[in-house]
Amino acid sequence: MERKDNNQAKAPQGEAARILTEFLEVAISCIIFLKGVYPHGAFERRRYMNVVVHRARHPQLRDYIHSSVNGLLPFIQKGLVERVVVIFFDNEDFPIERFVFKVNLNLSYGSKVEQSDLEFSLRSFLIKLPVSESLTKLLPRGCRWEITAYFRALPEASTSKDSELIWIPTDTKQWQQPPLITPIKSMNSEPLGVQLYLEHPSLSEPKP
Amino acid sequence: MLKYGGRFENYFSRHHVTHIICSNLPDSKIKNLRSFSGGLPVIKPTWVLESVAANKLLSWIPYQLDQLASETKKQPKLSAFGFKSGPVLDDLEESISGQAVPQSGIATLRTSCSLEANIFGKAECTEEVEECHSVSDDPFHPNAAESTDQAPTYCMENHCEVELDAAVVGQSDAGYHSHISPCQDPKSDHNDCLEDHIIEESSSSKTIRPSTTGHSTLSDANFVENYFKFSRLHFIGTWRNRYRKRFLSSANGFKDMNPSRNAFATSQKTTIIHVDMDCFFVSVVIRKHPDLKDKPVAVCHSDNSRGTAEISSANYPARNHGVKAGMFIRDAKALCPQLVILPYNFDAYEEVADQFYDILHKHCNKVQAVSCDEAFIDVTDLRVEDPELFARAIRTEIHETTGCTASAGISGSMLMARVATRIAKPDGLCYIPSEKVDDYLHELPVKALPGIGHVLEEKLKKKQINTCGQLRLISKESLQKDFGVKTGDMLWNFSRGIDNRLVGVFQESKSIGADVNWGVRFNDLNDMKDFLLKLCKEVSLRLQGCGLKGRTITLKIKKRRSDAGEPVKYMGCGDCENLSRSVTLPMATDDVDVFQRITAQLFGYFHIDARDIRGAGLQASKLESADRNIRGHEKYSIRSWLVSSPARKSSMGKDVSEHMNGAGKGDQLYSDIGPPVQAKGSFSGGEAHVVHRATLPALHELDVGVIESLPPEVLSEINDLYAGELISFISKKKEKNAGNNVMDEEQSLSNPLVPPNKDFVHDAAEKIKSSEKEDEQYINKMIQGLPETSGSVTALLPETDSLMPSSLSQVDSSVLQQLPEELLADVLVSLPAHRRPDFMSNDVYLDHIRDQTGAIDFLPSNNLWVGNPPRWVDNFRLSSCQLLNRIAVLYNKSSPRGQFSSVLQLIMSEYPLDDGGDDAVNCLCELMKQYIKLKIETDVEEIYTCSCLLRRLTSRSELFLQVYNCIIPHLQAAVGETYGGDLNICFIE
Repeated sequence: MERKDNNQAKAPQGEAARILTEFLEVAISCIIFLKGVYPHGAFERRRYMNVVVHRARHPQLRDYIHSSVNGLLPFIQKGLVERVVVIFFDNEDFPIERFVFKVNLNLSYGSKVEQSDLEFSLRSFLIKLPVSESLTKLLPRGCRWEITAYFRALPEASTSKDSELIWIPTDTKQWQQPPLITPIKSMNSEPLGVQLYLEHPSLSEPKP
Repeated sequence: MLKYGGRFENYFSRHHVTHIICSNLPDSKIKNLRSFSGGLPVIKPTWVLESVAANKLLSWIPYQLDQLASETKKQPKLSAFGFKSGPVLDDLEESISGQAVPQSGIATLRTSCSLEANIFGKAECTEEVEECHSVSDDPFHPNAAESTDQAPTYCMENHCEVELDAAVVGQSDAGYHSHISPCQDPKSDHNDCLEDHIIEESSSSKTIRPSTTGHSTLSDANFVENYFKFSRLHFIGTWRNRYRKRFLSSANGFKDMNPSRNAFATSQKTTIIHVDMDCFFVSVVIRKHPDLKDKPVAVCHSDNSRGTAEISSANYPARNHGVKAGMFIRDAKALCPQLVILPYNFDAYEEVADQFYDILHKHCNKVQAVSCDEAFIDVTDLRVEDPELFARAIRTEIHETTGCTASAGISGSMLMARVATRIAKPDGLCYIPSEKVDDYLHELPVKALPGIGHVLEEKLKKKQINTCGQLRLISKESLQKDFGVKTGDMLWNFSRGIDNRLVGVFQESKSIGADVNWGVRFNDLNDMKDFLLKLCKEVSLRLQGCGLKGRTITLKIKKRRSDAGEPVKYMGCGDCENLSRSVTLPMATDDVDVFQRITAQLFGYFHIDARDIRGAGLQASKLESADRNIRGHEKYSIRSWLVSSPARKSSMGKDVSEHMNGAGKGDQLYSDIGPPVQAKGSFSGGEAHVVHRATLPALHELDVGVIESLPPEVLSEINDLYAGELISFISKKKEKNAGNNVMDEEQSLSNPLVPPNKDFVHDAAEKIKSSEKEDEQYINKMIQGLPETSGSVTALLPETDSLMPSSLSQVDSSVLQQLPEELLADVLVSLPAHRRPDFMSNDVYLDHIRDQTGAIDFLPSNNLWVGNPPRWVDNFRLSSCQLLNRIAVLYNKSSPRGQFSSVLQLIMSEYPLDDGGDDAVNCLCELMKQYIKLKIETDVEEIYTCSCLLRRLTSRSELFLQVYNCIIPHLQAAVGETYGGDLNICFIE
């Protein structure tokens, strides 16, 4: 099992997955900053891929983002993860806004990953994010948020090391109606394709 | 000047600068002499010249600057020179000049210039520059230098202050070390550098401060240095560095011998011996006093029997009385009144530690040093018949050589060898064969295992685990669950005596720092700042001593808790809050000034009262080797590379090379010690500083072929080093080779040599990637100039074809993609005419790369987007509908090409929009549908942009309204299918 993992890490997909998780960690931090769930003082300016980004100062917040995204790494490598979603929801667990990262990892891609190409493409997300604030909804007070991952298939029961046992079922409610989608950014740089779009409740959605 | 050991400093630094040399000073500086000179002597340049002529260091007193001399005469008591009081200095100078200075050709006179830009405000900088010009008659000007045949040609043109380092002369003076001594005195080790630095600093004050040893930061100006000088922990810490330097070669040696050794395969047969000196710090001190051997002895830095000094080590008789390390002396004396307290003897420790390792290395080449008195050796490869006999021999030899005893443990792994040594102590030997490992471990308390400290022990105790036997009963999984994967793994392995670590892995230090938590008391913030500066210096010196640079700087402060009283331990830190802040720099550094700036900043974050500070520590982590320092290293490696290339004879530049060689000798000294890099984008001084460290090879030693293939930037840099001689030299050489005398030197000079390949375009593109507009213009110019340049190069080198690649397929397309459109066009235009067709076909290739859609299969029904340009473009062009024709034209104008949104964007700017018939609507609908199908999976952003643009167009044109209405249901269905939602289409600007 371990050897297999090692091989996977060396494969182009493994490399791409590693870059992707790193990117997701940064991008999610940026979204949280953007949405103003926490006071701006809770973030510090950092540079990632030569773009100014914001990183959480609070160790717990940082750790939550870090561990959730890194917990996904083995599944991303296997191409199991379809979407990673940052959900903002109100007191009644009713989602208000969802930032969806749709991940598409080409498992049959064989040649070497150009890390710089990939990073160049991913960087555009970080540039686009701050200017997309107008597309997003103003959150009511007392909002909470979570990171949820959607899998293409249920992962097989794995050893303790793999899953890290950090994933818990989500309590967030589902929308009754198909949501409204506002794309923010898409990119496709073999073997990895990532799309970021917003989901808002449809206008016909019954109000809770 | 260099030849005699003088050195020019770009920046004023109390460490390096000893004399300030100038011929004139502005009034403002005379008035404020102390802040200008920092208490250093300000001397006329003639002093240097005459010292050189006399071949000894003359007293600087007669050469004092006239303006100052008159002043000091008026006020003889007010010595302008800080803590170097006049009479003492006189004595010093006399004793120095009395010495026979020259040491057989070794440079002794050392001068340094300082452009003091960093200590003066910006306003003064300009003044400084003016001053530089005004001293153009400076005797160190190249012309003058040549006449005296001493100074190298690259001596600074605009230096204004030259400072002479008296310390170097003091080299021959016994009690007076200098920090360049390592390179002058082959006996002293490089790693002594660190100590030397410290001594050097204190030595200047030693003369006037006869052993007034203060005990806190308040009373002792040199507290930091002394603190570390008398610290045992510091000794142990720096010992590692010393050891590494001393035995590194042998350590590397065995690594190479056995690169692929597998721990699992050989763990059964390995034999590891752990050797540990018995109470090292005591036994070394008493080895010369046999009478003390059986008496209780402890080592401590103070022998005040009522004091709160902690015992650092106690011998076995003392331990029998209950005396332990870490105990206050007064408690130890209470336990054992006859206890003898001795001070440290660091020289002896060093000597014994070296002997100890000499013996180990002699017997076995696989030695892993744990500490100065403890090591593992792996004797597996020696095929020793009886390891016990072998260990006994080592122990005997250690005892005979050092007079101290050592214990040894033998077993199959490092873990068990250590356990065996514990059993063997004191002065014993223990062998645990693999079959007995379990017996030994069964009753072993968990605390005895390495890696288990207080915290872990407490945790285990809570679970009723006290011995390894109990630990073994717990499954690996539950251990991992309770203590984490790594720790659990370790516990599980260790409790079974499994240890796969290999002997010989020398752990690199992860951080270098200095902590002081004893005797720290401040009255105000200024005290603290002074103290921090000293810490910075200390850390910087330690880094330099190890040849490392740190990227992360951490400042730790111990703050007295508000409710804590005066600590029990005299001058101790007591009950403290530990605060720490760190910052990571983009570039690794070991520069004091940078450290100082950062620490001041970090300290500012704490907002604490200086009186509450009980300790401070500064650490540099994320260490990088100083060699990797870009400027110095790049130059250095190029240089060594050049030197190693075969020397060629040339009549040209002979005298230049002679100069270089002459200078090189003096320079070599500096390149060895690698002085701290101080140049930070300063005046032209920066260049000179570099030259200091890199000895240039003579021009005729350079391999022209190598030089030619260097990238242009590097070439021009090297050319600068040779003061522009290089290019002309190369061109001359080439003339000879080609037998072509048509081209004169001037012309070739004006045509900088360019490596004739696509790298150039590549480089240009690279530059654009990282640069601003002005760079673009520059590149534009360069590229436009390409054809001509390539022409001349072709003339020079008939064998190389041309600068431009023969086809675009040779070009790195990713580079071309990075180019701005205009520039790309320029590059394409500059292609020779006969290659145009080539390019046309390659345009397709380029676009192909650009939209990356090649992977998708096209069905015959939706093949409108196949090909490049896509098929619809031709269809539309041939269509009878004007609008469609227009769209086809716009496609070719659009950028990025291949994206329909960019076409729509262009349509937006068209006015008026003429309407087409139903055919046009159908065509566009079909086109859009296929486009949606193509992009929906991978690029919903593009679909979204198209839809929004389309929606905007609906207000302007009936036709687009129809298209929009036709498309939207299709689009929403596709989005719903793929993303489970509806596209939220709005207007976008």
